[in-house]
Amino acid sequence: MSDFSRDGDSYSLAISIDEAHVLINLVEQLLELLGEGDFQHHYDENDPFAQLMAMQQEVVAPEDPVLKRLLPNAYSDPEAADDFRRYTEPALRRTKQDSLRIIREQLTVLVDNEEGGVIPEVDAQLWLKSINDLRLALSVRLEIHGESFEIFENMPDEDPQKGIYAVYFWLGWLQESLLELLTQ
Amino acid sequence: MGDTLTDVDISIEQLLDRPWVCIVWDDPVNLMSYVTFVLIKIFSFTKEKAHDKMMQVHIEGRAVVATGSREEMEHYVQALHDHGLWATLQRDDKI
Repeated sequence: MSDFSRDGDSYSLAISIDEAHVLINLVEQLLELLGEGDFQHHYDENDPFAQLMAMQQEVVAPEDPVLKRLLPNAYSDPEAADDFRRYTEPALRRTKQDSLRIIREQLTVLVDNEEGGVIPEVDAQLWLKSINDLRLALSVRLEIHGESFEIFENMPDEDPQKGIYAVYFWLGWLQESLLELLTQ
Repeated sequence: MGDTLTDVDISIEQLLDRPWVCIVWDDPVNLMSYVTFVLIKIFSFTKEKAHDKMMQVHIEGRAVVATGSREEMEHYVQALHDHGLWATLQRDDKI
């Protein structure tokens, strides 16, 4: 059984190598969707010229339904929503990407060492948010609603979607196990 | 005449003074325990208040979680989006 546990000043994640690979794949797919390449610059992100140029780039509401859910409109009024997005979306994307990258790094260490992953206390909140982002992303693709768990339970094993549903519910379970530790 | 004008002035004033609200919307994905956790973290709610707000979101479909200036509400909405909650801001409906 995979879950998080407290280990002194850090947390440890007991998952199998196969499960770690599944997580790494999901993290990378989400990074790709968030546009990982766009933010791998040589220049310093605090460089005033780079910031000025970034401000002038057109930031529009995303087309992909997953991105619409992860980077939602802040206003119902489209003009106000676009305006807010122009100023805040690049930072929101970057925060989500940074968390996902840290998680990918720790999962890769876990796979390389073939043993339970150690998560520094300071990164536990990043795990919590990123697992949530992965669940949100999967939920959009699976069109999750209130009765989805019953649908999953009654799904025949040969249904190709059953595995994806299983991963979605497993992530919820994993998130709950980390939440329990963080709220103790 | 004068009274009417004054009345209009006051109501416009009230309209402009209406505060902004930050709203969290229900979704079928975020765990109830996670929503409660995030509300405590961002708004420093007590456990009870966070739980009540979470239940309001779940049952009524939405809940106002903060009231104040536009800047403050934008800051909260951004923090909520960072945590994956579905949040918006708008002028308060009530005068």
